[in-house]
Amino acid sequence: MLSRIAHELFWLGRNVSRAELTARMIDGVFQADLQGRPDDPAGVTLSWDAVLAIMGSTASPPKRRKDAERPSRAETVALLSTDATNANSVVASLERAREGAHTVRDVISAEMWEAINAVHLGLADASIGVTGYGGPYSFVSYVKSRTALFWGVASRTMLRDDAYAFLDAGGRFESADMVLRMLRVALPAPGERPASSPRDGQALALLGAVGGLQAFRRAGAAAPTATAVANFLLYTRTYPDSVAASIDAVRSSLELADANPRASEPVLRLSRVLADLDFRGRVGRNDDGGLLEVCEIVGRELALADGDITERYFGGVMSPTHVS
Amino acid sequence: MLFAIHYTTEYDYGEPVTDNLNALRVRPATTATQRCDEFHVRTDPESRLGRHADYFGTEVIEFGISRPHSSLTIDVRARVVTSEPAEPPAPAWEALAAPAYQEAAGEFVLASIVEPPNGALDELFAASELASPLEAVEGLCELIPDRFEYNTGITYVGSTVADLLAAGGGVCQDFVHLALILLRRHGIAARYVSGYLFAAPADGGSDSVEVETHAWLEALLPDGGDRGEPVWVGFDPTNRSRAGEQYVKIGHGRLYDDVPPIKGVYRGGPAELSAHVVMTRLDPATSARA
Amino acid sequence: MSATWSATCFDEVFAADGVPRAYAEPLVAELERLGAESLVAAGALRDAIFMRQGITFDLTSPEGAVADRPFPLDLIPRIIPAAEWRTIKRGLAQRIRALNQFVDDVYHEREIVKAGIVPWKLIASRSHFARAAHGIRPPRGVYTHIAGCDLVRDAHGAWKVLEDNVRTPSGISYMLENRLAMTRLIPSLFAHFRVRPIDQYPALLHAALRSVAPVADGDARIVVWTPGPANSAYFEHTFLARQMGVELVEASDLVVRDDVCYMRTTSGLARVSAIYRRLDDAFIDPLEFRPDSLLGVPGLIRAYRAGTVAIANAIGTGVADDKAIYCYVPAMIRFYLGEEPLLENVTTYLLDDPEQLEVALERIGELVLKPTGESGGKGVVIGPAADERRLVELAETVRRDPTQWIAQEVVQLSTVPTVAADGTLASRHVDLRPFAIFGDEIRIVPGGLTRVALEPGSLIVNSSRGGGSKDTWVLQDSEEPEQEPVAAAAFTPPSLPKLRLRSWTGQAQQQQQQLLPPF
Repeated sequence: MLSRIAHELFWLGRNVSRAELTARMIDGVFQADLQGRPDDPAGVTLSWDAVLAIMGSTASPPKRRKDAERPSRAETVALLSTDATNANSVVASLERAREGAHTVRDVISAEMWEAINAVHLGLADASIGVTGYGGPYSFVSYVKSRTALFWGVASRTMLRDDAYAFLDAGGRFESADMVLRMLRVALPAPGERPASSPRDGQALALLGAVGGLQAFRRAGAAAPTATAVANFLLYTRTYPDSVAASIDAVRSSLELADANPRASEPVLRLSRVLADLDFRGRVGRNDDGGLLEVCEIVGRELALADGDITERYFGGVMSPTHVS
Repeated sequence: MLFAIHYTTEYDYGEPVTDNLNALRVRPATTATQRCDEFHVRTDPESRLGRHADYFGTEVIEFGISRPHSSLTIDVRARVVTSEPAEPPAPAWEALAAPAYQEAAGEFVLASIVEPPNGALDELFAASELASPLEAVEGLCELIPDRFEYNTGITYVGSTVADLLAAGGGVCQDFVHLALILLRRHGIAARYVSGYLFAAPADGGSDSVEVETHAWLEALLPDGGDRGEPVWVGFDPTNRSRAGEQYVKIGHGRLYDDVPPIKGVYRGGPAELSAHVVMTRLDPATSARA
Repeated sequence: MSATWSATCFDEVFAADGVPRAYAEPLVAELERLGAESLVAAGALRDAIFMRQGITFDLTSPEGAVADRPFPLDLIPRIIPAAEWRTIKRGLAQRIRALNQFVDDVYHEREIVKAGIVPWKLIASRSHFARAAHGIRPPRGVYTHIAGCDLVRDAHGAWKVLEDNVRTPSGISYMLENRLAMTRLIPSLFAHFRVRPIDQYPALLHAALRSVAPVADGDARIVVWTPGPANSAYFEHTFLARQMGVELVEASDLVVRDDVCYMRTTSGLARVSAIYRRLDDAFIDPLEFRPDSLLGVPGLIRAYRAGTVAIANAIGTGVADDKAIYCYVPAMIRFYLGEEPLLENVTTYLLDDPEQLEVALERIGELVLKPTGESGGKGVVIGPAADERRLVELAETVRRDPTQWIAQEVVQLSTVPTVAADGTLASRHVDLRPFAIFGDEIRIVPGGLTRVALEPGSLIVNSSRGGGSKDTWVLQDSEEPEQEPVAAAAFTPPSLPKLRLRSWTGQAQQQQQQLLPPF
């Protein structure tokens, strides 16, 4: 298929996933935040800073106080959710998704288009917001339901051809990336006291946010410490949103779409990462330091795989034309 | 005269570029007073060269380099023999109306260059309305360099004649465009000529001169004689002269855009260009006829 | 509609005394039976459907605002009896054949110039004369793959050619969508007529493109090349690509390497053999034409010259639909085909002759002035409808360069009843744009796009200037053998097991099921 169209589909998947998982992360950290001990101000504000840094949001929130005080919870939530000027916010991702869907309207089904197109109309509704009584709950619920509808309709109405493969690959790729970022919020920083209870609270809240609480409990009898949750979200193949499962899904989608997968750099790279993850899952250092290291390694490999994918399927980054 | 021409062009790109497509109009033409004996083009990086004659009969060399590269060198060498053209005919203005003239004139008597508005050229037009078409052409070859300064750096390849008027100066391309507009207004068919000019050094020392590609014009003059066949005669409004054997023609068109020496498109960032043309007179004693 | 208009033009449905013409009787009867209210309701439904499906076009208001409007399809079809269509069909095929030969001649031998029929200076001064096309002969010598010659009927009902369109004629998708919409909105109208189908157009176009592609049939990759979603006819580009089952590409998808055109796909570069392009010559290749065109593909003309890719319509075809060249088409038919033209031109005056120029300028208030290089009605001034100031301005413009203008006698276009806002019928002026495809032979789709001027008394039918359209019905020829409808085989549904209404109720039930033989 045309590289341009495949590229749009890949990024449509990525943007929808990014929106959904960002919303879920906001929800998770928000809940954990609420549960921070009232006499421990450091624990409360540190998490939001970390979230901002990991999301790459360098845009300073509005009304930043001159005494370099950290942004408040409300400001950060707004920045990540409804601030259209922040390229990583939920609404910005959804807007990009909508533009992409518009370009590929001939390829996706009408229902998929409507699922995405209706979102910006829905968000204009005043009852769905992040400020006010329930905090970000109504906003996050709305985004979760619309994105779930999108993927649900996609899985029912799209032909399982290379168009679907690129869409799915994009969605799963972003999922792997986002879960890795979330884990870095949940895991203690090097040198921090291990197994501190605010960390555990955060990890549990993140797990709840991605909807994995049931699955975690069924998967084993471990207590829900940050370490256990991180292990679960990294390695558990049977849980669809684990990093390993997501990477596997990207790899198999690309294998489907590639005319010659044995020669495909991204497929090979992702296979290697997956094998590595499987190995570490069985025998690696699965305490906090080890896990953080794994997250960083996998994160780097994903970034490289992103480049590989662009090179192989989308013709690389195109320079502008010059007349001499 | 016998010349060797060596024309090198070098493009330096910062970051590597790709899909670099170029069309060259650099080969000396074969005409009644000129013959090209040798002609070689090489590129670095190497490429396959395609050749064809365009609508105006100019030889075009085309090539493309798709893989990434940081510089492009085009090396052109040619040997050409020129001879002095015959004296131009000097019939009356009425001869322009003859059917033979109109047919030979074709599109070259049609306006094709953007003219400055509001009668800006009316005075020059009136000043060049002389006793015969030949005198009009010769007159313009004096009038234009009288009124305008030859100056590189004021105008550029996309400049219009209005720019020339406003700036009071320009280069050979601008002078020729102005002359073409006026000649065509007189009903004299005229065409833009691109080529090389052997601008011999004043002291007559070395036989090798560094030049630039030059532009002049050819005007269609009706032959006053019995045969009545019009002839194209070369004139140079920059140098106030007729185009003699020091002029090596590449090709012609209605205006510059029809016959640019090099035209190209590539994918990437901006380039630095350096171009050199060296003309060497090989056999000053010989003036071979074509 | 005032009484004076109806006296000076030809109404296609009603004869002079207000009685419907024989072939139109069932139509008029059905319209009366439907009544104004149903027609208004059908109109509202049509608008809703078109907007939802995106069958729209951009309309620029006088203030410059661009809005997406549903394509204005009028519900009353325009009917053409079979015998009339036969004349039109033959006349068009003849004309297109002559135009195609003219294009070939212009870029090669110039025989028609040597014969003294068309002056070379006129040809070389046409804005769409493409010097880059000189000496190139496309596959099979076909240049005008898709042609849309606009036809009108004069006050006597005679068919005449108003202008030729062989560059990128548009409107075919509206023709197809109109037919589909009509079958859904007022199917009762079809009951009384045998209308010839038109849905074979995309297949015909695809076959024509395959026949000119320079590779073996099965391997030919065909694409539709669009300037992008911002183009006002984008809907048509996507529509045709979809209907033909080919890729819709933009300039960034194409690249030329070693004189071969490729498109960028996820499996690498894939060779393109034929391009149905919907952009003008000036934009297609920055190396040969406008260097500032970001819509072009560098090197495409090289591939074209090398014969590795077919382009429809061919480069330089625009020289044939210049309005000054139009005046010479009857002469072309005689010169190239040795035949008399079956369809006449509208009386037109070239203005490069000083005497003709003066006469035309004197009569400027009575004539239609058209710039030769434009299309889509752009720049056209209808003398009788223009004010004094406009006419003075126009005269000055024309004097400055008379070779870029022609003057035409005003044709009182024929009229057809149209549904007004309140559901009543009103006569409006129409023209016809049939579509012809030239592949291995010339085929003309029955009917075409009927364009209708929506303002009372107006003669401007272009959609870009507020015109609408009608479905065009060419009736089945009673002389041609009737096609036997394929009898639908009697269909009996197979018997299926009954659906289970309850989930398993207990152990015993399950045991029972296990004893049954495998399904």
